[in-house]
Formats: sequence, C-alpha cells, structure tokens
Amino acid sequence: MSKLYYDHLIVLDEVEAVIKRAAKTQEEKEELWKVVDETLHHRVMGKVLDKLPREHHEEFLDKFHASPHDVEELIRQEIGNLAYELLQDLKKKK
Amino acid sequence: MSGRLPTQTYHEIDEERIDFEYLRNKLKLKQLEAKKSLSEKYPHVEKFFLEKGIELGKIREHSANVLGAGALTGALLLSPPMGAKSLPPPHEIIEKIKIAQAAQITPPQEILVATLTDHLPEKTRPLSRDEEKYLERVFNEIMGVPARATLEGEHLNTTYGIIGAEQHLRRYPGDTIGSHKPYLKEGMAPGLGAWGYFAKSKTELTFDLEEKEKWYAVVQTLYLPDWSRRQPHLKNWYKYRKVMIVNSKNGNAVIAAISDSGPAAWTGKHFGGSPEVMEYLGGPKYKKGPVIIFFVDDPENKVPLGPVEYNKVSLAGIPIERI
Repeated sequence: MSKLYYDHLIVLDEVEAVIKRAAKTQEEKEELWKVVDETLHHRVMGKVLDKLPREHHEEFLDKFHASPHDVEELIRQEIGNLAYELLQDLKKKK
Repeated sequence: MSGRLPTQTYHEIDEERIDFEYLRNKLKLKQLEAKKSLSEKYPHVEKFFLEKGIELGKIREHSANVLGAGALTGALLLSPPMGAKSLPPPHEIIEKIKIAQAAQITPPQEILVATLTDHLPEKTRPLSRDEEKYLERVFNEIMGVPARATLEGEHLNTTYGIIGAEQHLRRYPGDTIGSHKPYLKEGMAPGLGAWGYFAKSKTELTFDLEEKEKWYAVVQTLYLPDWSRRQPHLKNWYKYRKVMIVNSKNGNAVIAAISDSGPAAWTGKHFGGSPEVMEYLGGPKYKKGPVIIFFVDDPENKVPLGPVEYNKVSLAGIPIERI
C-alpha cells in the first residue's frame, strides 16, 4: 500500500515537471495547475460515487460539502491514475 | 561521455519541453471529458452543487473557506480540531525548557523535537489557533525567533504541511546554474519565480538579493481564498516575506524569503524550499517532509536569512552553551 502511495507521488512530480517546463510565466503555470485540479475533482467524485450505493450519494455529497478536505486515500489513488494517463497521452505525442 | 557539462541543463529542457498551447489544450480536453462523464453518469451531483452555489471544479476555494471558518469557530468555542492532542499550558513547557537548559543536560533542539512529537498530529493538517499560539511561544523561547502564524492579519491556508525540493531560480537575465554552487545537480527552474527576476542584471544583484534566492521558500499563495480579490496588496505583501521553516522531525530550522508560488495542490505538497533550504532542513537526500512554516515578525529586518543555529543560542538569563 505504501509503495503504491509513493509511486503515485513520483508520477505526480513528473506531471508537475512537465507543466513547469511548458509554462513560460507564473500565470501560465497556475492556469495549467488549475485545469489539472478541476479535472481531478470531477474524476475523484466519479470514483467515489462509483463505489457508493446510490442511496448514500446525497449523504456523501453533504459530508463532502461540509468538509471537502477529508477524503484522502481515494483521492491519492485517483490522482495517481490521472497522472499516469496524462503522461501516457503526452508520450504518444512524441 | 556525452560531451555535455553538468551545468548544461538546457539540453534536457529543450528535448523534453512541451509546447504550452499543446499542453493546455490536452489538459483542457481531459478536464471537459471528466466533467461531461461525471455529469452524464451522475446528473444529481451537478444539481447538488448548483443548489449549493459552488462549482465542483472550484471545490478547493470552498474548502479553504470551510477550513478558515472552522479555525475561527474552533478558536471561539475552544474545541480542538480532529486529531488534536491536548496541549499543556505554555508556561509549563517553557519552565521545562528552562530547567533542562539550566541543568545543561538536554540540547534545545532535542527539547524542541520532543515537544513537536508530543503535541503535533502525526499527519499534517491546518493547525488550530491554540496550537499555533502554543508553537509561537515555544519557538520564541527555544530559538529566540519571533515567529507568527498570523502576521498583520495574513495567514497561509496551512502552517503545518509537506515541503518539497525546488530548483534554483534565475536571479537575472542570463543567470546560469554554474553560479549557484555548490548545489548544481538540482538544476535551474525552467520558468521564473512568481515575482520574476530578483534583479534586472547581474550588476544589480546585491548580496541581499543573492541571499533571497539562496534561502527561498515557496508557498501556495494562489490558493489563498482572497488572493484574487486583494490584489496588488497580497502580491506585494508576500514578496520576499520572511518565514521560518521548521522540520518537525529533527528540529532543523531555517529562515527563508518567499520567492515563488506553489506547489500545485494535487502534488500533495504544500510548500517548497530552495536546494540550500532543503539541504539544511534534512541533508543531501532530503526531498520531502513535514514542516511548520510561520512568518517572521521582523519589521526592522534584523533576523538574517539562513539556518537558525539555536543550539548555540541561550535562553534569556541562561549562559550561552555551545552544544
């Protein structure tokens, strides 16, 4: 489990490095970060709801709205998946 | 032999660099796909957030507001946040520190590490106002640094988080990695810091600016809930703002100047440190770890940037003891 956790962080660092190299200004860098960020929120939400029976969705959404900083492990997992996909997409370009 | 000097990092940059427009389009496409997929699969989610008046994509801003409101409520109601350990009265710990110091048995750094281990949660999280006030007193007593979690009404989204290693920043047009000795392998950041070059040219680079790049910190100003609303005040306020970074695992501390904004929230890191900062905090292999970051209340600019060597500094009234 912990191995997977570190693997994900390493992949994330690579995505961050790609963005840093592509952006010429701070504004460009932040713009790209925010796009990734927004993608993550949708992907993570979808992943969580996939695992939750429909009748619990509203309860989860209420809890998430009340404290959005609390869903941790699932977020780490999904961040890793997205980062991997992004890097694969970018490699295809070359 | 590749025929390239270690300082010629631009070879790698050119080879791996992806065009900004291309990357933005690619990321944007991914974002739209994710948004569409969620809204098709779970239309009630879109409806839920619409009714709450927030966008899922902007949930981080909402979270910052919730955390800010929580800290305020916590301070008012004196209810500790989740994972908070009970804090002894500050005077109690201060007394312990003074007794240990007077008896010359325990190095101050050891006392600090023990205090942080005892009273900080294992996992990093925003600290409560009580916890921050407590640490302010401990830092002041042990290190003699006037560090503040809130300074002039400004506060970071979190003061206890993960720091990650950063590269050198270009100080002036034409600056090269070769002039950032001895830490060359970290390389030079491809872009400029959030406040641009430190000086317009090499001749205008003063010792003070050199020190600012050498001992620089990165904080997530871009995620501050009021960052866009309070411009240009906040940008000016944070530029080269002095902070004290304390490694909560070993007690190493350094004074740094905020010179860049980041890292991206999805990296799991909250702060960044220059190669020099990271080396002092945790040694040559240190790339990431938990730290506390407080502003330094230094209106007369008396606290120098660089390591806080508090093992050599005594508490008030106790003879200096070199350890």
